[in-house]
Amino acid sequence: MSAAREALWQQLRGAGLVRGELPAQGEPRAPWYVRVMLGVAGWIGAVFLFFFVGAAFTFVMRSGAAALVVGLAACAGAAAIFRASRGEFAAQFALAVSLAGQAILVYGIAELLGHPSLRITALVVAVQQAVLFLVVPNFLHRVFTSWSALIALQFALTDYGLSAFAPALATAACAAIWLGEFDHAERAELLRSGGYGTALAAVQIAVIQGPLWYGLLLRHPRPGTQAIAWAGAAASAAVFLWMVGALLRREAVALGSEAGKRAIAGAVLLAALALKAPGIAPALVILIAGHANGNRVLAGLGIAALVAYLSYYYYSLEATLLEKSAVLAVTGIVLLAARLVLRKTLSA
Amino acid sequence: MRAGGRVHPRNEILGWVQEGRIAARELRKALEVGGALPSAGAWRQFLDRLLLFMGVLLVGAGVVFFLAYNWRELGRFAKFGLVELPLLGALAVLWRLGLDRPAGKATLLLAALLAGALLALVGQTYQTGADTFELFAAWAAAIVPWALVGRFPALWVLWLALVNLAVSLYFQAFHGFLGVALGPERQMWVLLAVNGTALIAWEITAGLRSRWAQRLVATGVAAIVTALAVVAIFDPRSTAWANSLAWLGWAAATYAAYRRLVQDLFMLALGALSVIVVSATFVAKLIELREPGSFLFMGLFVIALSAAAGYWLRRIAAREHT
Repeated sequence: MSAAREALWQQLRGAGLVRGELPAQGEPRAPWYVRVMLGVAGWIGAVFLFFFVGAAFTFVMRSGAAALVVGLAACAGAAAIFRASRGEFAAQFALAVSLAGQAILVYGIAELLGHPSLRITALVVAVQQAVLFLVVPNFLHRVFTSWSALIALQFALTDYGLSAFAPALATAACAAIWLGEFDHAERAELLRSGGYGTALAAVQIAVIQGPLWYGLLLRHPRPGTQAIAWAGAAASAAVFLWMVGALLRREAVALGSEAGKRAIAGAVLLAALALKAPGIAPALVILIAGHANGNRVLAGLGIAALVAYLSYYYYSLEATLLEKSAVLAVTGIVLLAARLVLRKTLSA
Repeated sequence: MRAGGRVHPRNEILGWVQEGRIAARELRKALEVGGALPSAGAWRQFLDRLLLFMGVLLVGAGVVFFLAYNWRELGRFAKFGLVELPLLGALAVLWRLGLDRPAGKATLLLAALLAGALLALVGQTYQTGADTFELFAAWAAAIVPWALVGRFPALWVLWLALVNLAVSLYFQAFHGFLGVALGPERQMWVLLAVNGTALIAWEITAGLRSRWAQRLVATGVAAIVTALAVVAIFDPRSTAWANSLAWLGWAAATYAAYRRLVQDLFMLALGALSVIVVSATFVAKLIELREPGSFLFMGLFVIALSAAAGYWLRRIAAREHT
């Protein structure tokens, strides 16, 4: 194990990027699944704490102002614990307190605004979560706040009838963060946590559409118009093309070069598919970003998103099964043909 | 023996930047030198593989969707031809390519999906009166030889998914009316047996190479056995001891296997989460959540358990690295 580490260090030293001896193994980062497990457990704890506050301080639940104060205190307290301590118990406790505090805050704000419409509440939640994302310096917490901010935005957009644009918005945010990961190394933790949060939100938004939430939560089906649905799909495809272009620029690949032309051709093909099946765009963006940054977890998430979207596509009502099968089969054949062309022109 | 304990240049370099050993503005260059970012060749291979698997996946899905549309206007021969021709084509391609290349494995996967489509078509056309679960059971049986020959995880995962579907649909068809309490639990036991055996067989034969399939199956096993334990806590009957015994046995086996024999932190994390859920359920049932104080206690209990689990897992990860 350390032989590989030593070899890596020597490589970097040879390139003049580091000096001195290989540093001792610091505190290793826990693998992603351990963090997920801790997050799930934190959730369960937060639910219990939320019920505790609700049961113990019924006045909190009756007055919007009291809920606001308690919620703010909880979030502020959690932030303080995160900054002060690095212990495992403290981190888990602070996570649970913060999650419960966020829920109480949302409740308080909604009460104070006099039960506003869904769009106002959702926008307020989005802003609240964005602020918490910037202020509270814990990785898991930041993944949650960035994810929930985008989901809240999806709710707001759905209430305006613009839910078709939510995937494009989430995908653009995710792509922008991951493309810039290496340019802002000082803010690495912030960017990475935001990247994962927005990626999860993008996958969810692509697979579980806005109107579905609407129908589930409020029993008020509000599908957007055909034109808006088409515009939303076009926006997703456009975000995908933009991401490929930005990636080519980052890797200093000229658009007119061989590699550049191949990439653009492939991207245009896939973007055309995304027009008919808009959920493909977020999945591909995540997959490509993961590969470009050497991030295997992210790439795996992209593959999972592709498969999940295909399952959703079966049930979606935008087109008949016949049309969908034709789209899939034709696109699949075109992709395979493109691959053959690629191999021929490469070996030639 | 260690599983998944390789050094990842990307994580190491990111860690060193955070410690200040590498200048922040040199991060990109360091990643390139360390081989963490894909080279031009890697990109070409990526594009190649992406087009291949997406193409195969989309074509297969297209055929399945098409059949589901149930196009009555097509005559019997046309329908069968539309499925059998791609299937034969896939087999022919397979003959030419062989099973070692990724293209060959992708074709085998496509052929397996088409075989299912063919069976569905047969059942639908000839009105055999078969239940849905029989379709999936037949599909699973049909592709066993291919899975044995192909020997790659994705195909085995498809096969296992089909077996699981067949079992679930069987119970839905035959035990749905025998009472809610009895049907689902027996189904869970059968699924546990099926997936548990698959996991053990997988671990014995496959070894340490790519572990995603084993981890996927293990997640299913963990979910089922945890559900059984939770059911036993809420519904104490004479058979509840069997559930608890199964859960304890599974927890002990997971610890022994994945801590002593093969180091796989993912499995241990699964076990830890299951322990948290089951013990929280047990304690919650014991103290009978009524007053506010009991909620606070439960919250702190869960947090403390998860903190302990996190500490334990990180300790093991640290020991794995040295």
